[in-house]
Amino acid sequence: MPLGILVPLVIAGIAGIAVLLHILGLSRPATLASEDAARTAWLDEFPDDPALRIVLSHDHTAALIETRDGHGIVWPMGADTTARYLTGARIERTTNGLRIDLPDYTAPRIRLRLAPDEAELWPHLMETPA
Amino acid sequence: MTDQITFPDIVSWAVPFFIAAILIELLWIVIKGRGGRYETRDALTSLIMGAGNVASGILLGFIAYGFFMALWATTPLDLGTSWWVIALCFVLDDLRYYWVHRFGHRIRWVWASHVNHHSSQHYNLTTALRQTWTGTFTFMMIVRAPLILLGFHPAMVLFCGGLNLIYQFWIHTEAIGRMPRWFEAVMNTPSHHRVHHGRNARYLDANYAGVFIVWDKMFGTFVPELEQEKPRYGLVHNLGTFNPIRVAFHEWVGIFRDATQPGLTWRDRLMYCIAPPGWSHDGSRDTSEEIKRKHLAHHPEDRGSPGFSATD
Repeated sequence: MPLGILVPLVIAGIAGIAVLLHILGLSRPATLASEDAARTAWLDEFPDDPALRIVLSHDHTAALIETRDGHGIVWPMGADTTARYLTGARIERTTNGLRIDLPDYTAPRIRLRLAPDEAELWPHLMETPA
Repeated sequence: MTDQITFPDIVSWAVPFFIAAILIELLWIVIKGRGGRYETRDALTSLIMGAGNVASGILLGFIAYGFFMALWATTPLDLGTSWWVIALCFVLDDLRYYWVHRFGHRIRWVWASHVNHHSSQHYNLTTALRQTWTGTFTFMMIVRAPLILLGFHPAMVLFCGGLNLIYQFWIHTEAIGRMPRWFEAVMNTPSHHRVHHGRNARYLDANYAGVFIVWDKMFGTFVPELEQEKPRYGLVHNLGTFNPIRVAFHEWVGIFRDATQPGLTWRDRLMYCIAPPGWSHDGSRDTSEEIKRKHLAHHPEDRGSPGFSATD
């Protein structure tokens, strides 16, 4: 297919599908229904290190996890979740919550939407020895 | 010897079909409320990866094609372009695909290219297009060398590879349950390929087939989809980014960081490049064998069932 046709077709196709998905309401991030859901989401990534303590955010979009090996975070990746330990993390307050920078090429930055009291409290909890 | 043979670039001609099929699957899911899931950023990332794959083919395709044409110049064999030669080429190229795909899951250097195809936690038709940008750097074009040397023209081999890729598009769906029994027995299907994309311990390193599932049955890597265990999609450690650059290159970065750690032997550095994914010099990570072994330690009742050895 000539590039003069292929390139516009690909660009229009990608943009059109993305807009349609958004209009259909398929951009909503995952939520963690309960502490058990957060526990399961953590175990999905780190099955050898179960959560000892879970702090669920007020809006259920993230969970702070304490395990034998340290602290971690479960957060939404689109309609699903992923999780990381907080080893080497740099944590900063933002207007909506916290920004966590990790030395991890596959998860370099986590933006957590937290209530002001949570944003104040969570950095202290993250620094508490597990 | 015939040098001036052309075949259509069928993958680019299939792009309108890809877009239409994605829209049909999406509408089916939205209307019926079943048959899969879509999410905007996940689908957008997959589609950008697909576009990048086409672009990398345009930019880097000359390397593989030049290699094939150099081989073609040396072989005294020329099988021509009759229909049965094309059909035979398609079957043999699918056998080639099986082994390249198996290497792609068992050799980290090749996995670094293939991993992005498995990096979505969704399984829909956009996942099919989440393709590598770095395939040229795996040097897996070498596995096609026997076909060229046997007298299959490079253009024909690439045409058959394109057909293979197009076949595999429709099997990336949850909207189709099982095909007729005879079809499931011979061909790769949505059910077989869902298993391949599963991150469940049972489903790791299974069903490498492209078109014909018989290769997995012949070489002992076939695992059926079980009603009682739905595949969970994605990687053993899922990505925390939708950035296509990071999706495309993250495992290469991982190899570089691992292999350049201080204090390793040269053997360790080599193993970080070519050992199965999950290998580590200090045993701190798990390969698929270790993941299966740990699963069986917690679920001994699964020993000997599909996907698990009876003896480990």
